[in-house]
This record gives sequence, C-alpha cells and structure tokens, in this order.
Amino acid sequence: MSTTDTSHIRNFSIVAHIDHGKSTISDRILELTHTVEERDMEAQLLDTMDIERERGITIKSNAVRVTYDADDGETYQFNLIDTPGHVDFTYEVSRSLAACEGAVLVVDATQGVEAQTVSNANLAMNANLDIVPAINKIDLPSAEPDRVREEIEEDLAIPADDAVCVSGKTGEGIHDLLEAIVMLVSPPTGDYDAPLKALILDSYFDEYRGVVATVRVFDGHIRKGDQLQMMQAGEGFLVDGVGVKRPAEQLVEELGVGEVGFVVTGLKNPEAVRVGDTLTYASRPCAEALPGYREAKPMVYTGIFPIDNKDYENLRDALEKLHVNDPSLTWSPETSVALGFGFRVGFLGLLHMEVVKERLEREFALSLIATSPSVDYHVYKTDGEMIEVRSPQDLPDVTRIERIEEPYLKAKVIVPPEYTGAVMQLAIEHRGITQDMVYLSEKSVEMHFDVPLAELILDFFDQLKSRTKGYASLDYEFSDYRASDLVKLDILLSGDEVDALSFIVHRDKAYTMARGLCDKLKEIIPRQQFEVPIQGAIGNKIIARSTVKAVRKDVLAKCYGGDISRKRKLLEKQKEGKKRMKQIGSVEVPQEAFLAVLKVDDQ
Amino acid sequence: MSADSGVRALYLHLPFCARKCAYCDFASWATPAGDPLMSAYAHAIGAQLGEASSLGLFEACETAYVGGGTPTLLGEKGLGQLVEKVVDATAPSEFTCEANPDSLSDEVLRAVRGAGATRLSIGVQSLDDGELYELGRLHDAACARERVTAAVASGLDVSVDLMCATPTQTPESWARTLEGVISLGVAHVSVYPLQIEEGTSLDQRFADDPCVWNDPEVQAERMIQAQVSLEAHGYARYEVASYARAGKECRHNKAYWTGLPYLGLGTGASSMLDVEGYLRLLEVCPQLPATPVETQRVRLTVETPRRELSEDPRLCALSFSLEFLTEPQAVAEDLMLGARLVEGLRPELVVRARELFGGRFDDTIDDLLARGLLAEKSGRLAPTERGWLLGNELYGPLWDLAPGEVRSAKC
Repeated sequence: MSTTDTSHIRNFSIVAHIDHGKSTISDRILELTHTVEERDMEAQLLDTMDIERERGITIKSNAVRVTYDADDGETYQFNLIDTPGHVDFTYEVSRSLAACEGAVLVVDATQGVEAQTVSNANLAMNANLDIVPAINKIDLPSAEPDRVREEIEEDLAIPADDAVCVSGKTGEGIHDLLEAIVMLVSPPTGDYDAPLKALILDSYFDEYRGVVATVRVFDGHIRKGDQLQMMQAGEGFLVDGVGVKRPAEQLVEELGVGEVGFVVTGLKNPEAVRVGDTLTYASRPCAEALPGYREAKPMVYTGIFPIDNKDYENLRDALEKLHVNDPSLTWSPETSVALGFGFRVGFLGLLHMEVVKERLEREFALSLIATSPSVDYHVYKTDGEMIEVRSPQDLPDVTRIERIEEPYLKAKVIVPPEYTGAVMQLAIEHRGITQDMVYLSEKSVEMHFDVPLAELILDFFDQLKSRTKGYASLDYEFSDYRASDLVKLDILLSGDEVDALSFIVHRDKAYTMARGLCDKLKEIIPRQQFEVPIQGAIGNKIIARSTVKAVRKDVLAKCYGGDISRKRKLLEKQKEGKKRMKQIGSVEVPQEAFLAVLKVDDQ
Repeated sequence: MSADSGVRALYLHLPFCARKCAYCDFASWATPAGDPLMSAYAHAIGAQLGEASSLGLFEACETAYVGGGTPTLLGEKGLGQLVEKVVDATAPSEFTCEANPDSLSDEVLRAVRGAGATRLSIGVQSLDDGELYELGRLHDAACARERVTAAVASGLDVSVDLMCATPTQTPESWARTLEGVISLGVAHVSVYPLQIEEGTSLDQRFADDPCVWNDPEVQAERMIQAQVSLEAHGYARYEVASYARAGKECRHNKAYWTGLPYLGLGTGASSMLDVEGYLRLLEVCPQLPATPVETQRVRLTVETPRRELSEDPRLCALSFSLEFLTEPQAVAEDLMLGARLVEGLRPELVVRARELFGGRFDDTIDDLLARGLLAEKSGRLAPTERGWLLGNELYGPLWDLAPGEVRSAKC
C-alpha cells in the first residue's frame, strides 16, 4: 500500500445507545481481522481502564488499526476510533468523530432506536459521516430486525435497506459489516505533500516517552525526527517516534495522509498537548488550524479530601499524575475545618467526578471524601468587587454580598412527543425556562430551555432519563450568568457547623432541600454512642432538623465455644467499616454523607 | 515435662442435632436418631481423647465441656461412655454437658451424672411456646420446665441458656421466661440477644424485614431487664452474658476469657495452646506447621468434616486452620477478653500491657475511661454498665493494641 494513496483506508467510529453492544462488536472486529487472536481476547478490549470495563462505559477515546483482507482481494487499513459514551464527554465524542469519515451506527435488534441512538446519529450526521447501520443482537429470540430497520429509516431518516444484521455475541454478520464499511465509508482525502495538518484526538503521559498523542493526519505525513508544532498551544517538539495501536503499540516508519496513529512528542508538559489542537510542521505550517478546538472547561467543582490527613501529599501527586492524561482536570488547595486539607477539583460533569474519584482511590490506594458539587458562582460584593466562588465556604458574609450570579445553560432535549409534558415539568422543577419546541418529525420534538447549571448537575440528567424512560437526549452549552436569589445552607451535627456539608441553593428550594438533607443524613449516619442532632440552617436560622438516635447496644455476647478468633474477626470487620468514616468532632460520618445532597429527593 | 504446660480445659464438640434451629450457624447438622454416624463419631472422639491424653496434655486439666450440637442426642449409653472417657482422661473438677430439653431423658440424666458430669447446660432459650416455635426449637415450654426441674432434682448444677430479642418476644413474655427459670432453681443463666447470622433460615425468612424485634434498642432493653431480674434473685453477673449463684460460675467458660490454654476436639472445635502445648501436639501431628518466630500462643480449629473424622480418628489425620499470636497480640487478646468479665483486667495483665504498649495503652485506657466504658473498681479496671451494652466499643480498642497481622495457616 503506497503511503500517498488513501483509497484503502477507512476511518470510522462505532456509535450506539448504551448497552446496544458497541464494545462487543469492536471486539469481534479485532478478532475477525486477526488483530487479536481469540485466545487473547478479553471482553471489551478497547476499554483499557479498569473502571471503564467495570461500568461498561468508554471514557477516553482510543484508536486501533486493523488490517482487513476484503472480498475484492484488496487489503484495507481500518482505523477504529472509539468514542466516549456519556453526556459529560460530548466534546471528546465530537473530536473523535471529526477524525472519521464514517460511523457504524449500532442498534439493538430487540430494543430498536433509543434516545442515544438518535443523539449519536445526529452527531455523526452533523459531522458529515457516512453511516453504516448495523442491527445487533440478532441471535436473541426477541430480535425484530425488520421493525428496527423501519425505525432507523423513520426515526433517523437513514436508509436502512443495507443495514447489516450482526451478532456481537456469536460473530454472525461481522464479515458483512466489514464489507459494508469498505463499500459505504469514503476513503480519506488529503494531500501527502501538503503542510502537515493533524488533529489531536487524545493524549496520555508515558514516564519514559513524555506525552504521547493520538492523531489523525488530514494533510501531510509524520516521521520520526520531524520538527512539529501545536498550532493552538504553540509548543514545538521533535518527533521521537510514530506508531499505531493494533491494539498493542507498534512503531511505524510514518503516519501518512489519512492515517490514524500516535506520535511520541517527548514533551514533559502534558498541558501543551490538548485534544482538538492541530499539529503541523514547524518550518512549513499549514494555513489554518482544524476547527473545533475548545478547552475542556470544568463545569462542576467539588472538594476532594483524604479521609486520612496524612494522605494530602499523596493526593496531590495522584492528581498531578491523573492530569497527565486528563488535562481537563483542574484543582486548587482547599481547607475545611471538618475535613482538613484537600483540593477543590473541577470536573466536566458528575460522571467525570465519579470516575476521577474512583481512579484516585483505586490506582493510588487513597480513601477520599468528595463534597457537594458546586458551580462557579459570580459574587458581586457591596464594595463593587466580583469574586468567583466555587466552594460554599468561600461565600462572603451575606451583609457583604450585593448579588450572586450563577451560570445558565441553553439545554436542548430531543424527546418523543408523548414526553414533552414530563420534560416541561422537570424543567420547571429545576428552575428552567422553556424557550421553544420544534417538531423534528412525527416522532421527535426538540425542546429548548434555559436552566441553571447548578440544577442540571444535581439529578437532572438521571431524572430526565427516568421520566422519559430513557428516550430523551440532552445536550447543553453555556449561555450566560444571571442573578439568582441564592443562599448558603449549612448543616450542623451535634450543634457544630460542618463546613464540608454546606451548599449553595436557591432560596425557594432551601426549606425542602434542608429537610430532605437532614432526613437523608439521618439514614446515612450510623447510630453513635450518643444522640446526634442534625440541623439545617440559613445563617443563624435553623430551618430543618432530625436526630440520629444513640446506639444502646453493640456487643457480641455469644460464646461460640471458645472460638475467640471469630470474635476478633468480627471486631476487625467493624473497625474496617469505621475506617471508611470521617471523625467530625465526636461524630463518625460515612463518606457518602458528604454527597448526600445528590440523593435528596426534592419532590 | 511440667504439668502446667498442658491444657487447663477440654472441649468436645458433637455436631449433631435432631433439627437445625432457625438462628444457628454453628458447626452442627440435622441427624436422624440412631444414625450410626453419631456413635462412630463419638468413638472417634474417644480415641482422640486417648491419644491426646498419652501426650500428657491433660495433667493440669481442670474442666471439661461436652457441647454441640446436641450431645444428649447420643443417648444414655453413647453419652455416658463418652463422659466416662473424659473423666478417665482428665479427672475434671467441673464437667459440663450441653443438653436440649427434648432429648434430656431421665436415663440420659442418670447416665451422665453416674459417669461423672457435674453440670448441665440446657438450651431452654424461652418459656414461651410462640417464641420457641419461631426459633425452630423442638421443645415447648412445658417440656423445658419439666426437664429442667428433673435436672435440678438430680443434684447436678444446672445452667440454662436464654435468648432475647427474638421474634414475637415482648417485655412481658421475657419477664415470664426469666421468672420461670429463676423459680426452677437453676444455678446459672446465660442470656444471649439473638444474632441474625448470615445464611441461617432466620436470615432468609427476614431478609426484607427491618426486624424491629431484634433492634439494638430492644436488645439493650432485654439485656437490662434480664440483669435486673436475675440480680434481684441472687444471680450475680460475672461475664457479659453469664449470671450465677455464688460459687456456680462456669469455670470452663472463664478459662476462655482468662487466657488459659484449652484443647478442643471434634469438627469445628477450637483450641488455644501455648507454644509448649503446641509442640507436644506436633509430636503426633506432623501435618502441623512449625511455629513462626515470636509465637506465644496458637489458636487451632479442627476443619476435618464429621464423616472423615469418624472414619479416621488419628490426630495426625486431622486438618486445622491455625493462628499464631505473638506475645503483644496475646496480651491484647487477653485485654479484650478480660473486659468481658465483671472482675475486669487482672493487675499482672495490665502491668505487662503497659510494658509492651507503653503510652498507647494508657491512651486507650484513658479514652475508654473517659467514654464511660471502663471504670476503676476495687483497684481493677472493669467494664461499666455502659460497657456491658456497648462491649464492642470496649473490646475493639483493646484488641487494636495488637501490633501487626495475626499470622494464619491451614494444614
């Protein structure tokens, strides 16, 4: 295959509603193209992080090259570009799709077109990709490929006559799918000799090689020894090597036009390499960068504290290490009376927060507490100064606040018409202001409304999913800052304010939230040796209360015929449970109490 | 070979019951009456007893306890013979047999007394028919009263086990049970709040139930009720769950709490040996691992299933799980166990703990004193009323003084 000829290259993603089988199909493709031998197959090969495999979600995108000997006798280079699958990661999805010419749209043969099928298909069509519909799970007795075919045509307006029927489980139809990719996905176009124009899809840090960037070459080519430059970040570097993942890394001589692979930059500063940036030759830059570069900006801030204060430095090191392949992570030191030293960490969304917290705990063996999420408030003080407040603790005294503004989003929900009422109700409950409603087709309505980000990050997405039976898709973008009547709600345990439990809430919701939170905390905080009153307060005014009763009996009386080991082990087990709790004053508080606000049902 | 290097107590475990009770997660299996397995097993235990005896392990043995399961299921002949063998091997001054009312016939009673038992521990649990039914017991209240009366009349020291915070129990029914057993003239009462153990039929039955009848609050009420009632009738508490008339404390159980070595034979039985005792057992049990350095105390549990044990009773054929404790670990364990006793922590134990743990020991004790779990009583550190109910809060920090992991092994 000549490096200047792109006709045998196919760059594509697989997009699907959750659980419709994206990962199993990826695995089958790797297997059928002998990229990975069967004996080495591990389910969901493309998702390399433990957490991804456990949750069955793809967080970081990944690109794998496979070689396919097609029925036409030709050998094709497939670059399979995996995309993250959650609304927190929409930006990474759009970058991944920008690197493709095609997308395999997987639809479950038993469930048909679902909310994310619609939203992902829209993303793919907006990116002008060639769509290859694939109907998966046809091995199931309840599979209805014909009905699903109709749905794809009617709901998505995608011709589905040629939709390939496959089973990721049995491997049936995967060969046909590969053939369809050859036929339907356009080869990349580009000029081998033009100045380099390559999109950075992903990057990670390697201790020995520095930052390694996954790129898609649109024009030009990259070889070891080339002097390159990032067009947005500005940083330059000498290419230390280029290669592809199959899925194990393999160095190649060059990444030619249209190809996808990785570039070893040798850079020790991960911030210099940003997803969405354009790589070009230092001496012969391309005229303009690829569109769509956007810094992944944190939307949600939470305090992250080690349960054991001795772990503070370890937490800092861990954050720095994670930051290397997750540059969207930001943090600054934070001090809490209750929790000691920690960090206020910025996240793209709550899922991102959960994933980061889990990775910190698992990969760095830390026990952590995350506190209630907050957005970035603009607080205008009476002296005219505006300060950005990302933590309730930083809120000035009410007497010094002129007004507080909070970020609003323009939210877009696509939903079948029967759910518009439910969505509108949900929007109202979350202080949303409905703007308009557009019928996209008989079966889908696009609703636009403005909603405070703070409302969206709590439980909006989950509620939206549950109230629309999973049909709604949500997309949002920042709108503006608007003044709101916001107050700081404090929680007192045994009469002492616990700063880490405070949060900022709209005044109209303060009472219900305070009551809900006091009740939730009563459930979460285990009985102690003494009674623990829980109070919710605004300023000095107590607006809600509940009480954790004292435990009166905690003893293993039984003799167990001299089996002392058993008694000892029970005590040790009890102690293990306590280790996961934070001692605040004399009260032992479980980790999850600090996120109780997310579990309050404010209805 | 000095006498004090053997064990001070002997425990034999008979893992057979007519029926498995709803709450029970002990090593015990429902076995039909007359199943030849039971006599084969009893024979095997007898043989092991002989083998252990020939090692000189019992020269300082003071107490023996045949428990289960339901030893009385062996019948008068089987149990009588086993008791005789124990007496021959250990000549205990206190010898307890466990019994259930339904299988404690006059014949069994006569046989165990004739063979040398001094004490009976009867699994009465309750004198309320509804509660007994809920627990899956085979006897009713009338049977329990009648058999306990007969046992007391036989001249044996009688102890009854009672269970509180059980399904359908009320303060009134609990009061009736307590008054009932007191009026029967028993020497000793053990009171256990019901513990819903994982995997038991009770656990399954109430899997989705909040079990308000077993709430710690209820358990506390019942424990206090028992204490008040029993103490008013001349029973003194000497351990968190044990009450006795003067001089009728169970010395065997006290051995467990005071760090004296004991040997347990039978499936699931636990032993505690000092290093010398362990080395002596090692002479006939080459399968046992050597003691790691700094071992001071060894805890062993027989893991051999009852059938295998019956077929091949040789001590060298047994499998064990083992724990090896260092001196600081053994001392921490003794503190944890000593805190279960009214008499509290022995002064010499406190001295040694202070030598071993230094300031940490005093910090722990100060904390426990400050939290009102421990108090100084006639010169000894002993549990408070609060310490009875919140025992785990007391035992936990004492055991936490133990440095390092307890080394364990299987063979």
